[in-house]
Amino acid sequence: MEKVLFKYVEEPQQYLIDNYIKNGGYQALPKVLKDFTPDELIEEVKKSGVRGRGGAGFPAGLKWSFVPKTDVKPKYLCCNADESEPGTCKDRVLMECDPHMVIEGCIIAAFAIQAHHAFIYIRGEFAYPAFRMEEAVNEAYGKGYLGKNILGSGFDLDMIVHTGGGAYICGEETALLSSLEGDRGMSRIRPPFPAIEGLYSCPTVVNNVETLASIPHIINRGVDWYRTYGTEKSAGSKIFSLSGNVNRPGNYEVELGTPLSYVINELGGGIQTGHKLKAIIPGGSSTPLLMPDQIDTPLDYEAVAEAGSMLGSGAIIVIDERACMVWVAMKLINFYQHESCGKCTPCREGTLWLKRLINRIEHGEGKKGDIELILDICENIMGRTICPLGDAAVMPTESIIKHFRDEFEYHIEHKKCKVKTDYAFE
Amino acid sequence: MILNDATIKEITTRMERYPSRKSAILPALTYAYRQVGHLDAPVYKELSKIIDIPYVEIAEAASFYTMFPKKEVGRYLIQVCHNISCSLRGADNMLIYMQEKLGIKMGETTPDNLFTLISVECLGGCSAAPMMQVNQTFYEDLTREKIDKILADLSAEAEKDGK
Amino acid sequence: MSDNGKEQITLTIDGREVTVDKGTTVLEAARSIGIDIPYFCWHPKLDSVGACRMCLVAIEKFPKPVVSCATDVMPGMVVRTDTDEIVKARRGVLEFLLLNHPLDCPTCDKGGECDLQDNVFSNGIDTSRQTFLRNRVIDEETKTTFDDKRIGPEIIRNMNRCVTCFKCVRFNKEIAGEFDLGVYQRGSSTVIDTPPGEPIDNLYSGNVVEICPVGALTNTDWRYKVRVWKTKQADSISSYDADGQNIKLYYDHRLIHRAMSRPNDDVDEGWICNIARYGYQYINSLDRITKPLIKKEGQQVEATWDEAIKLIAKRFKEIKDKKGSVCIAGLTGGNLSTETNYLFNKFFRHNLHSNSVDYRLENIDLKDGVETAAYNCLSAAPFKIADLEKADTILIFASNFIKDHPIVNLRLRKAHRKNGARVYTANPVVTKSADISVDELIYQPDTEAAFLIALIHAVIDHKLYKNIDESKAAEIKTVLKPASLSEAAGICGIDEARITELARALAAGENLYILAGEYLKASQHRHTIANGLFNLANLLGVDDDKAAILATHANSIGADRVGLRPNLSASLAETLASKWEAELPDSSGCSTSQIFKGALGEEIDSIFIMGANPAMRYPDGPFVNAALDKLDFLVVADLFETATTAKADVVLPLAGWSEQSGSYVNLEGRYQPFSKALPSKQGVKTGIEIIRSLAEAMEAPLGLDDKTLETETKEVVDSWKREPRAVDTFYDVKQSGVIDHGDFPYRLLIGNDLHHYGYLSEHCPSLMRFTSDVYLEMSPNLAEKLKIADGDLVRVESSTGKLVLKVRFSEYFEGEVLFIPNNFSSVEVNHLVSREGGGWVKIEKLDDK
Repeated sequence: MEKVLFKYVEEPQQYLIDNYIKNGGYQALPKVLKDFTPDELIEEVKKSGVRGRGGAGFPAGLKWSFVPKTDVKPKYLCCNADESEPGTCKDRVLMECDPHMVIEGCIIAAFAIQAHHAFIYIRGEFAYPAFRMEEAVNEAYGKGYLGKNILGSGFDLDMIVHTGGGAYICGEETALLSSLEGDRGMSRIRPPFPAIEGLYSCPTVVNNVETLASIPHIINRGVDWYRTYGTEKSAGSKIFSLSGNVNRPGNYEVELGTPLSYVINELGGGIQTGHKLKAIIPGGSSTPLLMPDQIDTPLDYEAVAEAGSMLGSGAIIVIDERACMVWVAMKLINFYQHESCGKCTPCREGTLWLKRLINRIEHGEGKKGDIELILDICENIMGRTICPLGDAAVMPTESIIKHFRDEFEYHIEHKKCKVKTDYAFE
Repeated sequence: MILNDATIKEITTRMERYPSRKSAILPALTYAYRQVGHLDAPVYKELSKIIDIPYVEIAEAASFYTMFPKKEVGRYLIQVCHNISCSLRGADNMLIYMQEKLGIKMGETTPDNLFTLISVECLGGCSAAPMMQVNQTFYEDLTREKIDKILADLSAEAEKDGK
Repeated sequence: MSDNGKEQITLTIDGREVTVDKGTTVLEAARSIGIDIPYFCWHPKLDSVGACRMCLVAIEKFPKPVVSCATDVMPGMVVRTDTDEIVKARRGVLEFLLLNHPLDCPTCDKGGECDLQDNVFSNGIDTSRQTFLRNRVIDEETKTTFDDKRIGPEIIRNMNRCVTCFKCVRFNKEIAGEFDLGVYQRGSSTVIDTPPGEPIDNLYSGNVVEICPVGALTNTDWRYKVRVWKTKQADSISSYDADGQNIKLYYDHRLIHRAMSRPNDDVDEGWICNIARYGYQYINSLDRITKPLIKKEGQQVEATWDEAIKLIAKRFKEIKDKKGSVCIAGLTGGNLSTETNYLFNKFFRHNLHSNSVDYRLENIDLKDGVETAAYNCLSAAPFKIADLEKADTILIFASNFIKDHPIVNLRLRKAHRKNGARVYTANPVVTKSADISVDELIYQPDTEAAFLIALIHAVIDHKLYKNIDESKAAEIKTVLKPASLSEAAGICGIDEARITELARALAAGENLYILAGEYLKASQHRHTIANGLFNLANLLGVDDDKAAILATHANSIGADRVGLRPNLSASLAETLASKWEAELPDSSGCSTSQIFKGALGEEIDSIFIMGANPAMRYPDGPFVNAALDKLDFLVVADLFETATTAKADVVLPLAGWSEQSGSYVNLEGRYQPFSKALPSKQGVKTGIEIIRSLAEAMEAPLGLDDKTLETETKEVVDSWKREPRAVDTFYDVKQSGVIDHGDFPYRLLIGNDLHHYGYLSEHCPSLMRFTSDVYLEMSPNLAEKLKIADGDLVRVESSTGKLVLKVRFSEYFEGEVLFIPNNFSSVEVNHLVSREGGGWVKIEKLDDK
């Protein structure tokens, strides 16, 4: 397919506003300001079928439509650039290489919900992407795409690039809002939903970078064009971050519905030479495994769900036969335990317990019954927490045990790995 | 005062842009960290005065975020990703290599106070694994050879600066 | 619609139908029909955070269990609290919470009243699948896990026991507006602690111990003293401020062991201040007087009760026979029960025929003029604490609110937090309300009247008044001196524009309150200031219950209602006469300052003081001490030896408030009975017992048994009537000229320390842990000017005395105002102030030697 988001990703200095404009940028914005009312815009985006690219896959237009139009309180737009789900590194590329595309998308979204403040929340470690975004925002102010009375339309928008401080949880929308308010990045109970009471208790929309970057294209080329990509329910293209044991890891844009095997084998050059596929995490580290026989699963929200996993953020982590799956489970649970915000009991205490149990199995100290205990703990976390972090810790754990229980049992019985993890560093 | 005028200016300028000045806590911590190299109670106290937010709120927020070291570290803080994507590309062995190379264990600082080595969770460089971050800079697709060069360059840079 | 005008919603919980107000949570709806959903982090007065996950319930059509504490009821909801899934979820949460819990219940002070213990027990968890060491976090440096850590003067934190419900921090920030406790780190390493290097020592900090569902936060007061199930409880009322904090005393056969809140939504909503919480401790003190003392040849020697009472009876009779009963005066302290005051009053008026009784022991002489109707009217305004939360605009005037009214202060904060009330304050110092104030106006010391005059000018000049016409407004302007806004503003030292802004804001208020307090009452010009306040309230159309001068001591209002003052309203005089079936004496009575003046002259020969310490507390030390020294016969009943008992001819050991039942009437006029917690300490007698035996010794028994006394007192209190504020009346207001204080350039304010109230609190060890000694508070700016450092010793000198004190910096002081607490018997602070010299001092730094 023709690349949409990545069309100019290789272009040197596409991040400069003049180059962006030269390549067709900032054409959607004037069109929106001239031809659309906010309601028409929301309707257009709804029709396009574009869904949230951050992980949950919630229809973007629908999300915008939840913002109460009659509310006199200020409205806010937050661009979620706290890309932290292990395996995911796509938004970073968009921000580094084509920041104006993101900014244009933000301005259009802000117009749709009539927000006069937009925040781009970038994870703190992304110093360079944040620098690029900051520069780009300044350029956009300079050209009148931001600030007062944008392009003479009477619409005002202030945009602030805000960087985080190192907390995965801030990618969760309510935690992001807490963090942006200057609080500890702890998630909040819903309801109230951010669209009603979000940032500073005002209606707020939080959208992923990639979602917003898609918007100018939808406006420029129309809903019908956009829907020629992808499937009926999963429209458009999506960037997949391919990592792990493939020959050519990288970020690849394909249309939704493209078979997983195409991304791994054609784009990624197949499993690292000389090795064999063992398992695939298809949508970021929190999603359940797909097994080698599922490699032809089409990459769209529905098909991946049907295969027992989730499309998530589109981070495909390929694991070959050199990995001990207990070790993989340990790496993942250690991460989620480290990132639990500590607000709710099951996540705070449950992930610590899981971490201790899985680490002890990995270190040859596992006890009989540990596997059953782990699964029961998972059951007590799943669906019991304030935000999805608890579920995110549980899903891969349960899935790894489901598919590779023998490796856990072997570990407990023989106090060592069935497969000794061995990834050389040269 | 620990924070210099430039840092204070950065903070106050930014503060004015937010609808609520409390939102400036995180950027303020970032600016303070970039100047000082770490964060601790005296810094929180100063920030509390600059932003006019209770001291406790600054301390609470700072402690939540792991990106800011809470005690002194070397000139170069090396943060190596040990999460899954990097591990599948040899991050565990890379960490062993780096400890040997620097002659320190995880969490330690070299005697010349140049390098502090820690391992961290995913930094978002998964498709270019293994990777690490030194202060604000990402280094990706690492090999032994690349690491040797990076460390040598940093040492040279420090020497040039007269450290 | 229900009676309260709220929409009603009907739902089903565990098969039972329940109808509740819209906006009720499922948890509260369940509780209302006796279905107890377990919880840790929920609290009826805090915003729900849904953190502990203990209160999960299943709701039909909801995909997964939801937290009932944060889910509002909806019509037709079908809720189950008892499904297998819910039972498993709850057990899961409890198991998680127990993972690292030390299970040290036998030595934990929360044992027996611990939510974790109770919930574990009721959910039948008796085994553990946890096989790791019980610790949350190991400190890498010390290799230790969390241990007891003292985080404040009273509070000890044990993080291992913590269930991370955040209630403590939420209370502190949300309700108290205090920032000395926080949440640090994250995940399983989450820690509750104070900001690095600072203690938790706010006035409300005791509440965090009380609301801790487990033993993570305990206090010195209660630790290792007694097991809760070995105590009895008595309902009581705090004996200090006038807010009327409802408390519960826990006691065994020997001692009172603690005070906890006894939630009363009309008054305190379950939050009490540290003084109410730890202030009971003086009752247990070993320093209590337990034997009467009689002065013989200049020395006070121990005597029997019989000797003491007989001597008093004899001397009172002698004085009465010699010069007439008007020569005997009676003064009562602020924490005597209404019943005691009633009987005291009857003893003086009925038996001794003296009208010279007063409870207003800190009232200094009026500088100009006489008592006005405005002062009395506003002091008795039917203000209601609970209504304050609905206010949209509030002016706190001449009151350091947190000190004067710790509980009304919380309601003020609530009005701000929940109702977005715009709060303005006007004081001679910065107060703790600064953080919620739209504007905090600081007027020059002693210019309260000028401030109000300026404000009234602004109201009139900008036609912001209500209910009157222009000509009336013009007329009102003529009773004001100074006659213009600019002149008045100049005197109080506040920018005209800010005063005008305030006037506009107040006029815009639809539910406006103007509340005044101690700085007004302590002024020699209090009546003229009250006139100004009265005018302002009328001009702005403030409702009668919303403009008030708030009362100070636990039972000032009670004493007032039963007539313990020289001048009585006609209706009260009539009520008392009919109750006592006797005419009241027709002689004119003396008020506190007149009594002391009389003692210095010929009019007063004897004073009977019960539960008060004017020698230390009266704001004119030289005067009051001279007066007391000159008396022929001074009787003092009190709990401790004080500067006043030292001068007495007879000292009687008095029982404390908790050693008897009785009632207080709070600043709202709310009659609140309290019960006896322990029998009186051996050797002491209650005020009622003392008065009775004295009356009997004088062969005129008062004839009121306990029951009748209680009923009669209540009847008198209930019969009290007040004319509403006359809305078309306006009084003269003038600011007296500013006096040049010559060599004494700084205004000294004296009053209560944040953690002390009156002279008894220094016998409470817990309160002494917050502040144990006297100090001189000043602004860092003034200190800098005088080259004084925090902690330096300085000499403070006025025209009447001098003292050497340690300096303490305070962010709450601006300009050239100083403060010294008058709660400590070690230093005679009142010798620095006098009616003549006011409170003006000079200070001089002492050499380091």
